[in-house]
Amino acid sequence: MTPLEEGRLMRLLFVLSVLALAACGEAPPKPLTAEQSAALSPADPRLAQLYAGSCKACHTVADSLAPLTGDRTLWDPRWALGEEALLAAAIQGKGGMPAGGQCFECTPDDLKALIKFMAGREGGK
Amino acid sequence: MTSRRKVLLGGVGALALGAGGLAGRRWYLSREPEARPAIDGQGRVLWSNWAGNAHSYPAKRVAPASEADLITAMGGPKPIRPVGSGHSFTALVPTEGTLLSLDRLSGLVGHDPEKLTATVRAGTKLSALGPALAAIGQEMPNLPDINKQTLAGGLATGTHGTGKGVKALHGEVTAMRLVLPSGEVAECSRDARPELFHAARVGLGAFGVISEVTLQNRPLSRVKKIVTLVDTEQMLRDWPALAQRHRNAEFLVLPFTGKSALITHDTTDEPVRPRGADQDVETLMALKNLRDLFEFTPALRRRAAQAAMADIPPEVAIDEGWKLLSNERPVRFKEMEYHVPIAEQVGALREIIARIERDAPGVFFPIEARIIAPDDAWLSPFYERECGSIAVHAWYREDHDWMFELAEPVLRETGGRPHWGKLHSLGAAELKALYPMFAEAQAVRRSADPAGRMLNPFVKKIFG
Repeated sequence: MTPLEEGRLMRLLFVLSVLALAACGEAPPKPLTAEQSAALSPADPRLAQLYAGSCKACHTVADSLAPLTGDRTLWDPRWALGEEALLAAAIQGKGGMPAGGQCFECTPDDLKALIKFMAGREGGK
Repeated sequence: MTSRRKVLLGGVGALALGAGGLAGRRWYLSREPEARPAIDGQGRVLWSNWAGNAHSYPAKRVAPASEADLITAMGGPKPIRPVGSGHSFTALVPTEGTLLSLDRLSGLVGHDPEKLTATVRAGTKLSALGPALAAIGQEMPNLPDINKQTLAGGLATGTHGTGKGVKALHGEVTAMRLVLPSGEVAECSRDARPELFHAARVGLGAFGVISEVTLQNRPLSRVKKIVTLVDTEQMLRDWPALAQRHRNAEFLVLPFTGKSALITHDTTDEPVRPRGADQDVETLMALKNLRDLFEFTPALRRRAAQAAMADIPPEVAIDEGWKLLSNERPVRFKEMEYHVPIAEQVGALREIIARIERDAPGVFFPIEARIIAPDDAWLSPFYERECGSIAVHAWYREDHDWMFELAEPVLRETGGRPHWGKLHSLGAAELKALYPMFAEAQAVRRSADPAGRMLNPFVKKIFG
């Protein structure tokens, strides 16, 4: 392949990748600030109350080292581990994350929904 | 004939093996604790405290949203154990019966701008209470190191901050509403049911469940926080004068380094200078790295630490007190803390530092020293006594037996009283000797909970 052909091919691949992203309708995730993260809340009122009483205290504070709510740049690699793995880590605690996320009234289903929300996947995203 | 090269290669090999062995040993000793099953054989979900060293599988979890719901919840399977934020390191909370979360009993009920008092639902977290009080121009006179506890949990365990003449959280409580195990709602203060007020203010969640608390606050103020690295020897010499000079003073001895971090807060009118990004985690991990590298060469460890810490300028922040006095603590740990008579504090601290540096080279967490004013709650570790506190810590992944072997005997010898939420080995007999009103508190507890509905094995050991 000549350098000219190689250049054309690269441009074609780039255009295709842009088109593929556009077709998916999904722009690459951008980091959030702590303020942007703190402004988010689950749509469901009960979940919103659970979130405000526990997860929010750490997941909107950069110094806590917890991944910021809604920041897909931080959550996507975790989401890739699978919902069950994330649920187990939430119940059992892992690293800086205390067991149950300090939500002592949360059921496993509540925790699953809260993880989904914090991971920026609420509404089946 | 063995050549010099072969000997050298052999030596290097042995060294490499040795270093590899030590690294492997440290990796093993600091591994993530094995996870407990998330759900047990009976379908009950795991509960564990913040540090991960206490756990249970409660049969029932309740989170009452009103006092009426709380009364109903008291009829659940026993033992009924209230939980705040799970920040206690002892087994105060674990229950196979009812785990009662106070999360929904949260927020401000009312306030008196003249008297500077505020009535607060007991499950309010300190991180939320600070801004809520600031909005009405008030602040708590003092705050503990961590802001995640609930007010009820902080009071129940005698949680405190630091400062000459400054009381622990419960020292500023003027009235409480408790739901007793019988479902009766009891209002108590110095004037109404004073025996319940004095016994249950620091109550270990054993007298009933607090629903509301009235706090004596003070006008919202701005403080200047300064963190300075100093030589530990100088720190220990200057401590009594420094504690006297500042509104809030404490220090953290960084073991095996010869250095300490002095933290002071003083009221100021200077313009706001918000706290910067957290540096504590980085410092802590640097101390861990030093430990990992030089665990068995203390002289090198000290030299490396002193070189790394030379010329670090003081850290300064100016803001409302609730934003600076408490901290995020993203690195989990386990802790033992005793409150010793103030005159004994420096001597006991010297002995503990010496023992750790002689016998426990694996320790890298700082040793914390604070000062607390006396109060009159019967089970307060500060009951009628000004105290100096001494706290030792271990990373949540690592062993903490050394606390009981090296530190606790020194702390007990001074007549120290343990922090109720932190590791200690005492039972009713020893505690009775430390608390002049212990028998009276036991009697009030028996009368409030004759059937022992709030007693788990740990609380039973404490009350006998």
